[in-house]
Amino acid sequence: MNANIEKDYFTDYGVLKDPYEYFESMRDRGGVYRSTVRPDVIIVTGFEESVEVLRNAEDFSSAIAPQGPALPLPFEPKGGDIREQIEAHRNEFVGGDLLVAYDGQQHKFSRSILNRLFTPSRLKANEEFIQAYSEKLVKEMVAKGGCELINEVATPFVTLVIADLLGVPEDDREHFREVIDNAPPPGNLETEGMVMDENSPLVIMGGYFYNYVTERRENPREDILTELATATYPDGSLPDALEIVRLAIFLFGAGQDTSAKLLGNSLRRLGEDHELQAQLRADPSLIPDFIEEVLRIEGSTKMTARIAVRDTKIGEMDIPAGTKVMIAIAAANRDAKRWESPAEFKLDRPKLREHLAFSRGPHVCAGAPLARVEVRIILEHLLENTSLIDIDEEKHGDKANREMDYEASFIIRGLSELHLKLSA
Amino acid sequence: MPTVKLTRVDGQQQDLDVDSTGTLMEAIRDANCDELLALCGGCLSCATCHVHIDPADFERLAPMSDDEDALLDGVENRCPTSRLSCQLWLDDSHEGLKIQLVETG
Repeated sequence: MNANIEKDYFTDYGVLKDPYEYFESMRDRGGVYRSTVRPDVIIVTGFEESVEVLRNAEDFSSAIAPQGPALPLPFEPKGGDIREQIEAHRNEFVGGDLLVAYDGQQHKFSRSILNRLFTPSRLKANEEFIQAYSEKLVKEMVAKGGCELINEVATPFVTLVIADLLGVPEDDREHFREVIDNAPPPGNLETEGMVMDENSPLVIMGGYFYNYVTERRENPREDILTELATATYPDGSLPDALEIVRLAIFLFGAGQDTSAKLLGNSLRRLGEDHELQAQLRADPSLIPDFIEEVLRIEGSTKMTARIAVRDTKIGEMDIPAGTKVMIAIAAANRDAKRWESPAEFKLDRPKLREHLAFSRGPHVCAGAPLARVEVRIILEHLLENTSLIDIDEEKHGDKANREMDYEASFIIRGLSELHLKLSA
Repeated sequence: MPTVKLTRVDGQQQDLDVDSTGTLMEAIRDANCDELLALCGGCLSCATCHVHIDPADFERLAPMSDDEDALLDGVENRCPTSRLSCQLWLDDSHEGLKIQLVETG
């Protein structure tokens, strides 16, 4: 490939299939460069530079994180400080009312409510459900000799785990799963952004959560939804009911695809590498390190985006206010300056958990502990209940001619389907 | 808004204003102290916002939860006055608190 010809990250299906080759070909332009096909976008591929931007919430706003850096801004940036302009137009950014897009105090306040959901004691309670449900799912799949992992297992699994964490009544859970099954992933290549209409799963689930929150504020019970509905901000004020609704449905939107795809990426690797699979089966205590290395080498989020709110710098490059920045997480996690032999899969990397798969700084993924627990547990069950997990060659071709479809998303890295053969 | 006395890992000292509506971890992070990794963002899952409190100031803080205690147990350089800064909400009564950043991760 000619390294000097830049493909369009946002629309090129070759890049979708192998974003890593694309990022490697771009890396010799430096850890920070201005895209030639999208001259209004700065692309950050360096690990250090990515951390620098992700931690710098003073100079960079997250307002464009959901819509991505390819869509035009809803205003013409003027001057060396555009914070006021961003706030004035916040509702015009696609997904601008999602937690990932918040800045400053609004973000800090909403995040404080979310953080309480993912504490160790809360996760421990959730773990009982995760154990029971994953065991049931795995045994069903092993009994029939195989499965299509993403839709039959991963998606219902992660969706119902979040529903359990939030205390959604059982009768409603199945309906949640149905609406999510029928929806496209975020960051669709065709639409260059998220589409929200009345059939969007997040909108439908939002209706349920609005009822939960208003009902429990009137009649508190001893349940998680009541805790969520009555949680206060750090200054003691009660959030608007709609804000709680937005947080709850955001968890489904953010957690569902990313965790399901992480499970897919993990099992693809185990299905291809039987030696590694046998190693984990013999010593399940290696599973957490395995998950971290999958997160680093093929995490389910390829990139996120920021916009400079005032004139600043990334590394040595001057970045004027209004500049859109793409932080290529998938590239940073393979930066040879930070990771020795970055394309190699290794379980014993020092400081492995410092990868950026869950981002870094104020917006670091709140659900990371949950993702780690749920993927670990279902992998434990899968390995324990099988002698071999293999890629189904009838569906994906033999090893030399593998055919895998990836979700058409510029944000998400994950298989749309993964057919597995499971031998007891 | 209290001001605390922070000693960085490299020994450098600085005064840090801590917003009472946020945690100490957020204040340290937002002051660009990069050695404080704070990988999990404040949900008690990583212990990479570990700090040592000056023994003379330790009792001025609200007691820790069982979750925090359990997480600190997994940290190599835990000391009798260790805390996770993501669990510390400070107010004016904490003026002048002395905090030492330590190696994390």
